[in-house]
Amino acid sequence: MWNPHEPLPARTSYGLGIGTAVLVGALWSLVAGLDLVSDAKLPAPWEVAEGLWSLAAYNEAKESYMLLEATVASCTRVAISALIAVATAVPLGIAMGASPRINAAVGFLLDPFRSAPIVAVLPIFVMWFGIGETLKVTFLWLGAFVYLVPMTRDAMLTVARRSEVYVSLKDLGATDWEGIRHGVLPLALPSIWDAITVAVSIMWTYITVAEYVNAKTGLGTLIQNAKRFSAMDQVFAGIGVIIILALVTDKTLKLLRARLFAWETA
Amino acid sequence: MSVSLELRDIVQRYPAPDGSGDVTIVGGISLSLDRPSINMLLGPSGCGKSTLLRMMGGVRPYGMRTPTSGEVLIDGAPCHAEHDDVVMVFQTYSNRPDLTVEQNIALPFKLKLWRDRVSAAERAERIAWAMDRVGLSDRAANLPRQLSGGQNQRVALARALALKPRILLMDEPFGALDAQTRSEMQLLLIKLWEEQQCLVVFVTHDVEEALVLGDRILVLSTRPAALALDLELPDHRPRDELWLRSTRVLNMEKDIRAVLAQRAVPDAVQSAADA
Repeated sequence: MWNPHEPLPARTSYGLGIGTAVLVGALWSLVAGLDLVSDAKLPAPWEVAEGLWSLAAYNEAKESYMLLEATVASCTRVAISALIAVATAVPLGIAMGASPRINAAVGFLLDPFRSAPIVAVLPIFVMWFGIGETLKVTFLWLGAFVYLVPMTRDAMLTVARRSEVYVSLKDLGATDWEGIRHGVLPLALPSIWDAITVAVSIMWTYITVAEYVNAKTGLGTLIQNAKRFSAMDQVFAGIGVIIILALVTDKTLKLLRARLFAWETA
Repeated sequence: MSVSLELRDIVQRYPAPDGSGDVTIVGGISLSLDRPSINMLLGPSGCGKSTLLRMMGGVRPYGMRTPTSGEVLIDGAPCHAEHDDVVMVFQTYSNRPDLTVEQNIALPFKLKLWRDRVSAAERAERIAWAMDRVGLSDRAANLPRQLSGGQNQRVALARALALKPRILLMDEPFGALDAQTRSEMQLLLIKLWEEQQCLVVFVTHDVEEALVLGDRILVLSTRPAALALDLELPDHRPRDELWLRSTRVLNMEKDIRAVLAQRAVPDAVQSAADA
């Protein structure tokens, strides 16, 4: 039991995980089913399933598949913001990790933002970027950017501090940049990839906030609307879909990591 | 191939950790190595032999050190040029884990300095040749983690070899290997050196390694490092058990061990004994 090295067979591992999930589900069913808590506060699992189904089905009034439309809209926003975040934050983080001067110049201003209330920035962004798509994408970008930059920098610094390859290349007459390019960056890439994975997870947590303002569609909008009509089953369903999407993104990125950086895993 | 490496009164000082002025690590070493030979730098651990070796590598912005005073001369010229044909092999292999054996050996040619020096055709030739010489031709496409420690050190050796250095500095290169692999690597080094003579400076704390490999053994005393013993070894190779147990060699070994034992007592123990 208290042995961190205990070899756990996949069956036991999944069994325990699913067991807990079933237990929580049963408790939830019991509490909701016996009406210990009102439906308006806690819908039963089957009601959430119904809510999910009603969202997924073709909506006559709106003439669309609402859930599908919302999912596509949210995924697109996350994807575009993620691309912009990677294109901006990763190069900056690499530069900061490679140059104490750049780190000093930028880090002083940027580092505090890691603990800043990003959500509070939304009203400011509304004034700057209006209430259209630009707002959503920039907000998601900012949420990821403030984490991705320092994490990329730290990945570079960790490698630079202990890279024997760097020392050896410098000994062979590498220029400063060649030392970074061949002795640090390639070895930092797996950790940078991890940072990107975390950043995308953070984006999924911010999606509801991003879609708080004037979004015609999107999972966040879906949840907002459901809440307005006190349809708690649909709120739960919407949150569930976001969690699943975030999980799928995470697993995909981790799978890609294992492929791209096979040399790292022993 | 003629080559010379000369140290002129090398002194190295560091600020003491407790702020009480400077500590002298290397205290005025002068030395002249002037023919292709294997020179063993022997001393107790922490005596400054690696520091000395790094200074022979010349001025490097990171990891390599410049002496506080004194000069390192290569072929009579102060060694601070961009690169002075001095290549260092480290104990930790310094192989890139994401590159294959072949790519690791080719890595220096990614640097502008070496690309400019060696033509593309010659690069390919040298890489294949170096890989063959260390016996890794059939492992060309393997990653470092698929190799043993000894094989990894062969990659590092091949990388240095492909640059055809006139001076090869080796910082306890076989220190992390098991006894069996270490003696294999020692034989390999001798074989390669006989084919491709250059000036080797080899740091070790292993007396037997020094006796097996060295043409000359330089024994350093500690704190500060100073040249305590300078032995020329006869040109006898291979140095088998019989040779190692001859009276002459045993006497040399005794002298070396006597020097090493002088300050082998750690400071803490020493000061406790003094008190």
